[in-house]
Amino acid sequence: MKKLKFYGVGGQGIVTAGKIFSIAVSLYEKKYAITIPAYGHERRGAPVYTDVVMDDKPILVNCFVANPDIVVVFDHTIDQKNIDVGKGINDQTILIINTSSSETAKRYKENYGFGDVYYTDATRISMDVIGITIPNATMLGALARTGIMSIESVNKAIIEFFGKKAGEINAKAADISFSQTKKI
Amino acid sequence: MSVYKMLDGNAAAVEAIKMAKVKVVSAYPITPQTTIAEKLSEICANGELNAEYIRVESEHSAMSCVIGAQLTGVRAATASASVGIALMHEVLNVASGCRVPIVMPVVNRSLASPWSLWCDHQDTMAERDSGWIQMYCENVQDVFDTMIMAYRIAESPRVLTPVMVCLDGFFLSHSMQKILVPEQGEIDKFIGEYKPQNLVLDPTDPVIIDDLTGSNENTEMMYQQAVGFKNAIPEMEKVFSEFENEFGRKKSLIEGYNTNDADAVIVCLGSMSGTAKYVSDLMREQGIKVGVIKVVAFRPFPYKALREVIGNITKVAVLDRTAGLGGEGTPLWIEIKAALTDKNLLIKNYIAGLAGRDINIETIKSVYTDILAGQSSDSPVWIDCDVEHAGLIREVSINDRH
Repeated sequence: MKKLKFYGVGGQGIVTAGKIFSIAVSLYEKKYAITIPAYGHERRGAPVYTDVVMDDKPILVNCFVANPDIVVVFDHTIDQKNIDVGKGINDQTILIINTSSSETAKRYKENYGFGDVYYTDATRISMDVIGITIPNATMLGALARTGIMSIESVNKAIIEFFGKKAGEINAKAADISFSQTKKI
Repeated sequence: MSVYKMLDGNAAAVEAIKMAKVKVVSAYPITPQTTIAEKLSEICANGELNAEYIRVESEHSAMSCVIGAQLTGVRAATASASVGIALMHEVLNVASGCRVPIVMPVVNRSLASPWSLWCDHQDTMAERDSGWIQMYCENVQDVFDTMIMAYRIAESPRVLTPVMVCLDGFFLSHSMQKILVPEQGEIDKFIGEYKPQNLVLDPTDPVIIDDLTGSNENTEMMYQQAVGFKNAIPEMEKVFSEFENEFGRKKSLIEGYNTNDADAVIVCLGSMSGTAKYVSDLMREQGIKVGVIKVVAFRPFPYKALREVIGNITKVAVLDRTAGLGGEGTPLWIEIKAALTDKNLLIKNYIAGLAGRDINIETIKSVYTDILAGQSSDSPVWIDCDVEHAGLIREVSINDRH
């Protein structure tokens, strides 16, 4: 079983990213996933998170993730918004963060004690390829670099979710993000 | 041949309503049910579902429209949650009293106040005596399957009782999961065409129904409803068994999990039963013999099935997602206690998960640890609650009100 937590701010497509991830592993890798979305008084720009659990067999557990194996941070300023993305992690927990700066990625690794850290400039890639600053497809591209699922499955799921036209351009952005993701 | 689809609980409920070929829909949106109302209106508009969508100003009107529509001889659909169900309260009893076999998904959400958007079971527990069958779902597949089976159960001539299919707000309504959806032909074969029983209204020849009924007749009619509930138990078992033969998924009135040789069990409803099963597996790996009893049907309450599943278990933790204010225990605990009254068991009541407070792995572990210790309690145990600060009253003077 792998437990994931996605952190970001309202408007970045966090909940959508959780759903696309679930589709990718459930329909295209013959695994199982459930999303556990935390809905509240959302508004654009406010901190939000969503949880996903995946496994090789049907999943019984249905509660929020307390000890994530993978943390995905969609907005690197989240640590200045009173959100503790290191909550419940251990030194094996993988971080994927949306930033162009290796310094920022290192800051998160050291401050919180993450294991492997992957970073990509997801917002810029989304802007360049899709023309919008919503980094959900591009962050999923980066997440595929951990090996948790293939980039092909991510792309199929993106097309399944967004439809052919919007899906293909989002899948292209995910591909570019996948290839530009760096590890520290 | 079933295919895998990625659906959340609300979408699964809509899929079942669509496949049941309802002819009239009337629903008022309310979080976390809203996407059911939205999706139904969408498929009525685009022709995917050949049904009339009646827009209404409230849940009271929605249920009224659905009762009237179904009495003309078609399936009709609505859905609600929380204070929406509370506003329907008056008409819920009309539906059951007129024996209109409506199937309604209820997305469980706390009642106000304190105002909340999140899951607990206060809304449906407040309607447990409204004459509706209630079934609670564990996961999204269960939402779809229960909806389909509910049409068969409600419409059975020996039952003729409406059904609430209860799904936990957000934990199921908004949780996307992989589920198997059968083909339309298979569903057609399983639930069949709607066959109205007894009362059918003809809009071209109006009559008044449900007029003032005398005291003597009232008792007779209420007794008939009681007979419907009594018949519902064998009917549900029959439908569950046919469903299993057809689609391969087992369902029961009361499901025991890891209950053989268990020293203690948690009895619960809804999505928390999945988490409880997971924790019971973990604890068994450490040699601690605990299990789960998932109550699927709360109305009618299947006390005989419960007694069979309990077997020789002596420690019973009843974990309820509602407060049962002022009672000796919560609604589920009262049923369990009554069903097992002649057995000398420790039946302890726990309250957790109100208004979406997470029932997580630690919550479940703490219940098992407590019940295994074997201490009884005069009143329900409030999990993780700050009992130290309960009941504190602060005097407020007029001058404070600035």
